[in-house]
Amino acid sequence: MAKVTVSKLAKLFPPPIKGGDVVRAITNIDFEVDGNVFVSIVGPSGCGKSTLLNILSGVDTPTSGSVTVTEAGKPAKLGYVFQDARLLPWRSVMDNMMYVRDDASEESVANAAKYLSMVGLDHTHEMFPGQLSGGMQQRVGIARAFSVEPDLLLMDEPFSHLDAMTARSLRDHLQDLWSRTRKTVLFVTHDVMEAVQLSDRIIVLAPGGVIYDDISIDLPHPRKASDPKVATLQAEILGQFENMQIPAVE
Amino acid sequence: MTTLIQEVEPEPDSAIKRWLVSDRGATISAAVLFLVMWQLLTLFAPRVPTPWAVVKIMWIEVTGGDYGSVRRGEFWNHYAATLQRYAYGLAIGFTAGVLVGALIGASNIARALISDTVLVLLALPAFVWAFLTTMWFGIGWQAPVLTVAFTAFPFVAVNVAQGVRAITPDLRHMSTAFGVTPVKRFRHLILAGITGYVFAGLRFAMIVSWNGVLLSEWFNGQVGVGFRTRYWFDANRYPGFLGWVISFIIFVVALDRLVLTKLQARAFRWRKTNDELDKELLATVG
Repeated sequence: MAKVTVSKLAKLFPPPIKGGDVVRAITNIDFEVDGNVFVSIVGPSGCGKSTLLNILSGVDTPTSGSVTVTEAGKPAKLGYVFQDARLLPWRSVMDNMMYVRDDASEESVANAAKYLSMVGLDHTHEMFPGQLSGGMQQRVGIARAFSVEPDLLLMDEPFSHLDAMTARSLRDHLQDLWSRTRKTVLFVTHDVMEAVQLSDRIIVLAPGGVIYDDISIDLPHPRKASDPKVATLQAEILGQFENMQIPAVE
Repeated sequence: MTTLIQEVEPEPDSAIKRWLVSDRGATISAAVLFLVMWQLLTLFAPRVPTPWAVVKIMWIEVTGGDYGSVRRGEFWNHYAATLQRYAYGLAIGFTAGVLVGALIGASNIARALISDTVLVLLALPAFVWAFLTTMWFGIGWQAPVLTVAFTAFPFVAVNVAQGVRAITPDLRHMSTAFGVTPVKRFRHLILAGITGYVFAGLRFAMIVSWNGVLLSEWFNGQVGVGFRTRYWFDANRYPGFLGWVISFIIFVVALDRLVLTKLQARAFRWRKTNDELDKELLATVG
């Protein structure tokens, strides 16, 4: 059960052009995530969602503030699902699964195979990523992230590059996997419908990387996109966005 | 009005046509056509030896027979000497090429400092190295070995640099996010990622530096394929000269077709489409 603490976190990028202004990706945000919950971070493009995940995963460093991701007081183990699958194209599907795992024992291989099976990719172990469709590659990416048995799973708009039908099918796969494993998930998306369908809680970021809202979703899992309660809640949240007032930056 | 179009099943190509357009058929027919053209040429140009005259003299060279007043054939001795120099030179050029290529690919500073020099080396023809190394080291084994090394080096370096750059930052980020160990990264991300490019570079390097070793031996050798070719040239015996020229063409083509192309295809197997892999599988199972 991972605990994420984000405290006074800020991230600035250098001006994109000479003489321009620095880019504020994230501005002094604070939040906590504790327990086996599915949390979505929603916001328009450029509001710092992916930057936040990169800082949490150690790929990027903050300009100021701090993040801690712990599991029972120790550094938590992370899994990451990216916008694209990010598989090694020269390695087979199974080799890609094993690349991120700590050991190559038979038990470990069986575990990786189990997660591939959960996303319906039993037959792809020896195939190269180039032989798979975009949706199948992303399923490998999801299976890979779950298979490392992470304490915290970071997902950065994992379905944004896929067509609507494939994305819908993968959301179902994800809900199924999450129901079985109950990992702590931080899920970045710009799709409110997706966030409402999947999450227990939605943190809304506004441009400039400030927290605009923090919403709890109290609906049982798994949820269908066609569920009227999901649709109603989605409409309510979208209504709030129409009146989004961007808080002044201190 | 309704027009009925009768479906006509297309006639299959004849067996001869199918054989001619197959890989093997095309190779064999091209060789036969070449021999016929060569034979015809000898009718109009008496200085050009016939294919049979070339085969006869090369047979003596290979089997160690004699030519009466001329030296005995020493085909294998010459090839062994050349191959040894070729192997040493390639080992040096390949190692240096991998190291420098990796450096250029991984570091922007190294790229700014070295890559133009490597491109200049790439543009230098093998015969320049053959001259230079002979002037530096005189007659001996050093000149051919270093000619091969200098000729091979830039081809390997350029390809390895390209391979390293082809490993995207996204894959490095993924590795960082999952906490993949440096050893595993080196093996599965870096090494595996550049293998195909290494083979591509090695293939070019081997073909081009083969010319280099022969040229170097031509200028300064006392043994070797290049030396023996020059020997027949100096003796004004064109069948011998042409036979040796053909022998090293056959050698480099065989090396490319039987070894290098296959190794490169194997290394780039992951780039193949499903259709290509299916065909490969069908060929394997017959």
